[in-house]
Amino acid sequence: QFVPSDPPPPRRPLAFAEQHESDEEKQFRRVFQQLAGDDMEVSPAELMNILNRIISKHGDLKTDGFSIESCRSMVAVMDSDSTGKLGFHEFKHIWNNIKKWQGVYKSYDTDGSGVIGADELPNAFRAAGFPLNDQLFNMIIRRYSDEEGNMDFDNYIGCLVRLDAMCRAFKTLDKDNNGTIKVNVQEWLQLTMYS
Amino acid sequence: MSGIAAKLQHQRERAHGIGTNSHAVKYLNQDFESLRNSCLERGRLFEDDSFEALPSSLGFKELGPNSYKVRGITWRRPKEICSDPKFIFENASRTDICQGALGDCWLLAAIASLTLNKQVLSRVVPHDQSFDDHYAGIFHFEFWQFGEWVDVVVDDRLPTKDGELLFVHSAEGSEFWSALLEKAYAKLNGCYEALSGGSTIEGFEDFTGGIAERHELSSADPHLFHTITKALKRGSLLGCSIDITNARDSEAVTYRKLVKGHAYSVTGAEQVEHRGGRVQLIRIRNPWGQVEWNGAWSDNSSEWRYVSDDDRERLSHRSEDGEFWMSFSDFLRQYSRLEICNLTPDALSDEYKKWAESEFEDTWRMGVSAGGCRNYRDTFWMNPQFVIKLEDVDDEPDDGEEGCTFIVGLMQKNKRRRRKMGEDMETVGFAIYELPEEYSGKRQVHLKRDFFLYNCSAARSETFINLREVSNRFNLPPGEYLIIPSTFEPNKNGDFYVRVFSEKPADFQEIDDPVDSHVEEIHIDEDDIGDRFRSLFGQLAGHDVEICVFELQSILNRVVARRDDIKTNGFSLVTCRNMVNLLDKDGSGKLGLVEFKILWTKIEKFLDLYKARDVDKSGCMSTSEMRMAVEDAGFSLNNSLHQIVVARYSDSNLSIDFDNFVCSLIRLESLFQTFKALDKDGNGVIELGFKEWLSLAML
Repeated sequence: QFVPSDPPPPRRPLAFAEQHESDEEKQFRRVFQQLAGDDMEVSPAELMNILNRIISKHGDLKTDGFSIESCRSMVAVMDSDSTGKLGFHEFKHIWNNIKKWQGVYKSYDTDGSGVIGADELPNAFRAAGFPLNDQLFNMIIRRYSDEEGNMDFDNYIGCLVRLDAMCRAFKTLDKDNNGTIKVNVQEWLQLTMYS
Repeated sequence: MSGIAAKLQHQRERAHGIGTNSHAVKYLNQDFESLRNSCLERGRLFEDDSFEALPSSLGFKELGPNSYKVRGITWRRPKEICSDPKFIFENASRTDICQGALGDCWLLAAIASLTLNKQVLSRVVPHDQSFDDHYAGIFHFEFWQFGEWVDVVVDDRLPTKDGELLFVHSAEGSEFWSALLEKAYAKLNGCYEALSGGSTIEGFEDFTGGIAERHELSSADPHLFHTITKALKRGSLLGCSIDITNARDSEAVTYRKLVKGHAYSVTGAEQVEHRGGRVQLIRIRNPWGQVEWNGAWSDNSSEWRYVSDDDRERLSHRSEDGEFWMSFSDFLRQYSRLEICNLTPDALSDEYKKWAESEFEDTWRMGVSAGGCRNYRDTFWMNPQFVIKLEDVDDEPDDGEEGCTFIVGLMQKNKRRRRKMGEDMETVGFAIYELPEEYSGKRQVHLKRDFFLYNCSAARSETFINLREVSNRFNLPPGEYLIIPSTFEPNKNGDFYVRVFSEKPADFQEIDDPVDSHVEEIHIDEDDIGDRFRSLFGQLAGHDVEICVFELQSILNRVVARRDDIKTNGFSLVTCRNMVNLLDKDGSGKLGLVEFKILWTKIEKFLDLYKARDVDKSGCMSTSEMRMAVEDAGFSLNNSLHQIVVARYSDSNLSIDFDNFVCSLIRLESLFQTFKALDKDGNGVIELGFKEWLSLAML
């Protein structure tokens, strides 16, 4: 079964948040403040800089860098108030997932090539919580892998962030758990345009 | 997407009545019933791990963990403080509540007013809890927060010093509802310290969900007495106060025995015959339960001798209980401010006359719907628009002139951005326009720039102000009116909540353009394609005679690279893939000659459109140019979709370059196409299973 990550926790008043954070969270908030600047929000361009700065330190992950398009898409699927930017909570959520998925990536790159080949992909995705059928894998490979069928690190992350958000969106809207969702044209466009 | 999904689900739940007082939203998903039951089963008292009995729940500065003020504080349950604690005595009354060491007298005044209206009190303080039956150390309260009721649970560990409650407490010390209410409100606001320095009006609203109005008495409306009389009939909460000019004046008592900088309640208004004339009287109550006005019409004053026996019997009462009469003219001279909190219809029993109420949540977003006030002619029209239809005139006109009375309240919601106290509010207000005949009854239209250039407003909020809420009362002839809430300056992001309370039922709706597409299909026959295009295609496509995504990308980028009149950083693979998906009819994942020709025709059209709409020749679309261009391309979108287009495709200075422009239009077209294909019965709703959803949304 699909295991989308838990949604970001409900927002608490700032006065609470600052008082009740663990030291690790305080540290993370300080880092976030530096990255996000005065408005405490992360734009797609800022996200791109952050992610690219980090992956440049990991020689074992093959990547041509996160593209602005991929970062726009990641911000879009996470953004909750259509400002086009991520707040602290959404950023932390994405961040924790990336850390988790990076571990999966490394352990499923069995041949140590730095990329995930088409044959390694199903297991890597299953381990990340997304067992997909063949049709979906083919679609994902078409969109996220290169002409040889290999997926590099930035495409892998971009794909999982979207997939995770889509599963969560479905779960949110399928409140009665009957396995289907109903949307009108406006809702359909709001959901899919913003991805 | 997942953020949007959460927002949509929230709207759906609202539509199903979740968030009303009877179906309050569970704060932090804590459910009172199930938490209490599980505590009872385990035989343990509730300990709330989301608001712990720790210094951090007290405050951050004056009450911060290292402050001397919090030294010696221990958290105790009521049963450890007194032998026989009660949650609420039969008659909760305003004199039961005493302020503690926290500057939240405004909260106290609001709680005191609350006790005057049992029904309103019972909405905030559910009576299904006590220290006897099913006691498990857990209590809950309901507060109104930006349009919805929130149910907040707390454990009953309260901060004490030397064995006594530190903050709000009851006069004789054994009644605990007020102290627990304060704790729940502190939890909602983050900590106790967050409660100091609020305003009574905010307390009124958070306890009732009503709209508060503020009247400066030095420039009182001539119909104010009539307004007060009506407000009392409607069960509204009324408070008044005398301003202080410096902090030392706070709670100073004048020689007429009125207390400055103190919150009073207004409890009655009457007219009596006095020495052959009519006198307007107002009854006021000091929440201290003592210290009363000693001027004209006070308890033992001579004025009462010259009224009818009947009136004297009915009105005068001579006890030192904090309540007293004064003439309305003295009231206007002595007091500085009157605050009226008008209650929602569901807050009142049938004995009261009720307002009709309607409300909407919406947003201002940079470049799309944050148009600023009327001074900004080019952008004002972009603000969200609402229409109210007033049909019936008031029963009791204020001044003999017929009209429809209504109150508009515009409230800004908390912004998540981290800012210091007070700075997180934008300056907001609203304008009201009469809707001309030609738009009568139309709701699927967003009025454009020209309308506001040639029409002047019929009314507006008194000021633009950086308070949580700006509200004003209006009286206008029957008709349809447009209400435009805005920030003062354009391009300020904000979330707001707009409400209308009307004397008679009135239809209040958001008006906006419909969501639709009428993109012209391009039909091209293979025979129509000229030789030049054919040979070009031949060169580009190579030996497989089809163009794949990667070839398309390099073709497009070669073409745009040669132009200097449009800005672009090149087409991404995703955009090219979207184009192929839109046009690839045979499912090969590649474009044949005809498919490629259609795409080419589309792109040429987009280019013309882009050039035509780029009025300032910047090579980019500004957000307002974009809005027009989207319409020219055959799409009609409403505000929230325009917001999404900008959020998704504009760069940090709110401009949209050519590749993003093309990408957004192609994506819109395919999404409309997909929807129409799935909506087979044409009822406007599609149903999707999980796998279907993933395969459509991942594209």
